[in-house]
Amino acid sequence: MQRVTPHMTAFVTLRGVYNTPVHLQFLGAERSRDHDLMTSRALEQFLASVEKRAFKIAQLGLRNDDDALDAVQDAMMKLVQSYAARNSDEWRPLFYRILSNRIRDMQRRRTVRGRIMAWLPARDAEDDEEFDPIAQAPSLEPNPAKRLELDEAIGVLETAVAALPPRQQQAFLLRNFEGLDVAETASAMGCSEGSVKTHYFRALETLRARLGEVF
Amino acid sequence: MSQESEQDTPFEKRSREVLEESTARLDGRTLSRLNQARHAALEQAQRPARQAWRLLVPAGATAAAVLAVILWIGRPPGVEGTRTLSSNTIDDLLLLADTDAPDFVEDGEDLEFYEWAADELES
Repeated sequence: MQRVTPHMTAFVTLRGVYNTPVHLQFLGAERSRDHDLMTSRALEQFLASVEKRAFKIAQLGLRNDDDALDAVQDAMMKLVQSYAARNSDEWRPLFYRILSNRIRDMQRRRTVRGRIMAWLPARDAEDDEEFDPIAQAPSLEPNPAKRLELDEAIGVLETAVAALPPRQQQAFLLRNFEGLDVAETASAMGCSEGSVKTHYFRALETLRARLGEVF
Repeated sequence: MSQESEQDTPFEKRSREVLEESTARLDGRTLSRLNQARHAALEQAQRPARQAWRLLVPAGATAAAVLAVILWIGRPPGVEGTRTLSSNTIDDLLLLADTDAPDFVEDGEDLEFYEWAADELES
C-alpha cells in the first residue's frame, strides 16, 4: 500500500478546493444561463400567444384602447416579475388572473375618478388624443361585402359583450374566447367552478336574447 | 388559445369566430405597442429587482395629495373655501388612500391626476 505523503495530501486538497469547484461553478453558471434563456424564450412565446386576445378582453372590459394596453402591459410585467419560475402550464390562468384584477382595479379607479370629476370644476380637454394618421389609415380588404357583414357582427357582439356585468363578461371571454376550461377560468376569476358556470350561462342567455342565435 | 368544443352551440361558435376576426384586425399601432410591452416585460426580468424607494416616492406623494384633500375637506365650518362633500366622495378619497394606492400610481399618470385634483381643491 502506498504511503500518503504530505505533498499528496496537499495536492488532493488543492484539486478539491480549486479544480473541481471552479469547474462545477462554471458549469452551474452556464446551466443557469441556459435555463434563464429557455425560460425567457418560453415566456416570450407565451406572451406573444396571448397578447392579442388579452388586449381584446381588456378593451371590452375598459372600453378604451390605451387603458387596455396599459392593463395588458401591467399583467405581462407582473407575470414575468412574480411567476416566471412557475411551471409554464400555470402561466395562462395566472396571467388572466392578473389581467382580470388589473381590469377590475382600473374600472374601480375610473368610477372613483368619475365621482371626483363630477364634483370638481370642469377641466379643459387639452390632453385629448392626438390624431394618428397611421392608426386611422384604412387597411386593404379583398372582399368589401364580407368585411361589411363582419364589421356589423363585430360591432353588435362587442357592444353586447361590453354591456354585460363584469363577472359575466369575464366568464364569457375567458371561457368562450380565450378557451380556458372551467377550472382555469375559476382560477383566473378567483371564484368557484360553480360560479363560473353560472356567470357563463347567464352571459350566454343575455347575449342570445340580445343578438339572436346566429347574429 | 381559443379551442372549439363539440358541445359548443352555433351561438358560441359564431361569437368566437367574430371575436377572433376582430382580434385579427387589430391595427398596426396596437400590435406595435403590444410588441413593445412584451419586450419591456422581458427586459425587466433581466434587470435587478426594483428598488423600494422608487415605489415609495410616488406612493408617498399620492398619500400626501390625498391627505391634503382630506385635511382641506376637514376645515371647520365657516372657514373660507369650505365645500360640502357627500359621504360617497369621502369614501372615494379614503379608497384612494387605502393600501391599493401605491398600485394606483405605479405608472405616474395618476399621480399627476391626484396632484391636479389637490390643486383644484386648494384654488
